[in-house]
Amino acid sequence: MEYLASDKIAIVDLNTGDITEDELDEDLVLDKIGGAGITKHLYDQHSAAHDTENGPIVLGTGLLTGTLVPGSSLGVMTAKSPSTGKVSHVPLSLDAGIELKYSGFDYIVIKGSADKPVYLWIHDGILDINDAGDLWGKDTWAATDHIRDEMGDDLIQVLSIGQAGENASDLAQIGINYWQSADRFGFGKLCGEKNLKLIAIRGMGLLEISEPEAFVEDCAELIAAIRSNTTTQKQGIAAVSAALGEEDLGDWLEPLTHRHMACFNTPVATNTFLFTDEDPALLEETTVTEPGFLFTDIFPLVVLKKAGLSAKDAGLVLKACAKYGIDGAAVAELSATSGLTDPAEIEKTFPDLKGPVESAGESVFSPWAAVGQDINANWERRQAVAYILGLHPIWFQMATDLTEEKLLDLAGLGTEMEFTPDTLDEVIADILA
Amino acid sequence: MESRRQETEFRIPKIGIYTGKGASHSWLWFVEVFERLGFYDLSFLTEADLVKDSLENVDVLAVSGGDTFAIAEALGPQGASRLKTFITRGGLYLGSCAGAYLPLNSSKEHLNHFNFVPAKITNLTKTLPEAHGMKEKFCTCYGCSFIFHPVREAIEVTTSGLPPFGASTTLTAPLYGGPPMTVTNPATILATYTNFTDKTLFLVDRKLAENTLLGNAAVIREKMGHGHLHLYGPHFEHPHFREANLFLANAMMWDLPSQAAPTANPEDGMDILSGSEKQRFIRDFKRELSNSRIVAAGLEMLPLRWTIGSKIYETGKIRVFLEALWQRIRSFEKERLILVRAGQDDLLVQTALHVTKSIRQIKKGWDQKADTLKTATLLFNLLNKTSALFLEIYFRSKFFHAASAKIANATAAGSVRKIQYEGSYGQIKKMVA
Repeated sequence: MEYLASDKIAIVDLNTGDITEDELDEDLVLDKIGGAGITKHLYDQHSAAHDTENGPIVLGTGLLTGTLVPGSSLGVMTAKSPSTGKVSHVPLSLDAGIELKYSGFDYIVIKGSADKPVYLWIHDGILDINDAGDLWGKDTWAATDHIRDEMGDDLIQVLSIGQAGENASDLAQIGINYWQSADRFGFGKLCGEKNLKLIAIRGMGLLEISEPEAFVEDCAELIAAIRSNTTTQKQGIAAVSAALGEEDLGDWLEPLTHRHMACFNTPVATNTFLFTDEDPALLEETTVTEPGFLFTDIFPLVVLKKAGLSAKDAGLVLKACAKYGIDGAAVAELSATSGLTDPAEIEKTFPDLKGPVESAGESVFSPWAAVGQDINANWERRQAVAYILGLHPIWFQMATDLTEEKLLDLAGLGTEMEFTPDTLDEVIADILA
Repeated sequence: MESRRQETEFRIPKIGIYTGKGASHSWLWFVEVFERLGFYDLSFLTEADLVKDSLENVDVLAVSGGDTFAIAEALGPQGASRLKTFITRGGLYLGSCAGAYLPLNSSKEHLNHFNFVPAKITNLTKTLPEAHGMKEKFCTCYGCSFIFHPVREAIEVTTSGLPPFGASTTLTAPLYGGPPMTVTNPATILATYTNFTDKTLFLVDRKLAENTLLGNAAVIREKMGHGHLHLYGPHFEHPHFREANLFLANAMMWDLPSQAAPTANPEDGMDILSGSEKQRFIRDFKRELSNSRIVAAGLEMLPLRWTIGSKIYETGKIRVFLEALWQRIRSFEKERLILVRAGQDDLLVQTALHVTKSIRQIKKGWDQKADTLKTATLLFNLLNKTSALFLEIYFRSKFFHAASAKIANATAAGSVRKIQYEGSYGQIKKMVA
């Protein structure tokens, strides 16, 4: 695969410590396009040989991830959910998808289980299995700090588990750096079972585009069209929530809001940083070590607000969830059910919390992007396209002008390959099967 | 000027490049230009090599930019004597910037061993002019006087049009502190500073810059015994300035010694790595190179720089070394066989590991607000060593493969093809293309 790819699939066998590399076959791309289309294929291909209960975890990126296509931030994690029992897909947002895309690997299959804690260090086409003895037992924040400090780079993206994953909680989440991810499926438990503390990724590679001038021109047109659409001008978690038909969190969050943050090349900032432990109006650099928390998930905020928590207390709860590596949406749902509103009391329940929870949803795609939406066939199709091509799933839900036809054209321009709507239909059907 | 030769033998020159104490990253520019020309018979020489007998095995010694005082001190009287013998016996000395200052007459300690060329510099002053920019780079102490640098970046020079060096033409090359010179014999001037460009950055008043540079010699060619010195104020070897590169190469080819330095069989005394052994070696080196470039890229965002000797080193210079190696890794991976001296592969990996450690130590030092000068000094020394070691293996292997091919084999064996050499750029241009 010459264009928009590193042309490399890594197969990591944690049982033996062996790492093998395959080329990304063009026929596979023609058949499955990319993203979840290929992670699902690789999951099926490697799940028979696994020796742990829940099979491999497959990481990958969409065909258009990391390009100039607006919203092209997405990576994908595919595995069998301990919560739902389905082969499911979690979006890798913030900068995790882009770093993976440029890491020198298109897809990474993680099989088996290590006999002692390990972590993966993925960079420039090199994948190492390193000892994680010093990391095991640390929360996700400490683990992220440790790895960035050791490697000497603050841009390394860290997918890690906390104590929830280490203790095999069904609600364990794989976090992204210090923040909550869209993992509502308990993938953190799978990592714990594999003795895999974290995956550190840094991408400094380059991608070739088949027809760069035409590709850039088309992307520029898309960006211009997006700028004229007011729906896609929203900034911040509260505005996005309201735009998608969910509760308006603006007045509740506003006093603590410090800044909004978008995922890579995503026109809408779907994340908001709240200063829970510092004055948000501060104009100089804070002296507080942990001044607040980046909210990346709308659903738990809505639930905690409805349960009567203040925005600050909701922030404290979700910060604790992120550190412990437990799904904030599940915690919010279970706390609301049990009537708990004190952050310290809620945190005490983490070790014993159990599902099932409704917040995991019934789709194979994370309900993280189902804010204000019904999870129906249309929503699933739109999600599938986002996961296949590598587009931010909340943004793509809002960007209704961005058509499948246009995206397939761009995929063709970028790769010198032809992708038909029929192929897309087949790939989506396969993912949803 | 000797009579114009109508026909000369064309052979691949054996070129030594100085990489020892005082050399800055600019020696890598020579490497890039020579590689483009297909001159793979390169060796990388330190001050220790120069005082031994390494110059007996090269036709050309290229000394690039850096710290003239440090180079002179490192070579000492013994190095100066070796250099003198090399040139007088027919060798070609190619000096650029610091390498051009080195052999000019001087009474200063260390430099006074190299009084080979009776040219004077016009940027020497007892009273320092007012700096208009880059105060940290605009002057160097020279005893009780100062050498000041009137401009930086691209300037315009006009070649003299003296046979055999082609018709008079105007070209651009970057000036980073190299000398403007005056000579008593105008026949030794190959090019003169004639104008500035829109890229020229003035470090002093424009009028003073004009008086210091314009009309003075930018490139001179001096005969010494049977050999020659070509001294370049501007960096004609900078890879972004093709016309300047061609001029330099053309002049170099003209003044190659009539008697070629002895050609060694590239296989002699070498271990030949292939298959999994080769892959493991490249992978281990690539891992460390990647680790280094990741931290180095992060350092570039920090306002950090060091004064080492009389030169300023910014963090960006670290990656100049690393990227020069990184860009060659892919073609290195494709070589069927790699030729190393016994233990050289392990040494390279270990040196690269030290580079990573040093860069990470600098990052930690910055985080802890500690002084990093000592580590940075060690780092740049290591970067020179690692780069030279890698490039030695790289070019030896490349030369071996080229020599294995039919045409190159004839060249490596000392057989030559006759070419019409008319002082135009034609022949060299063909090679560059």
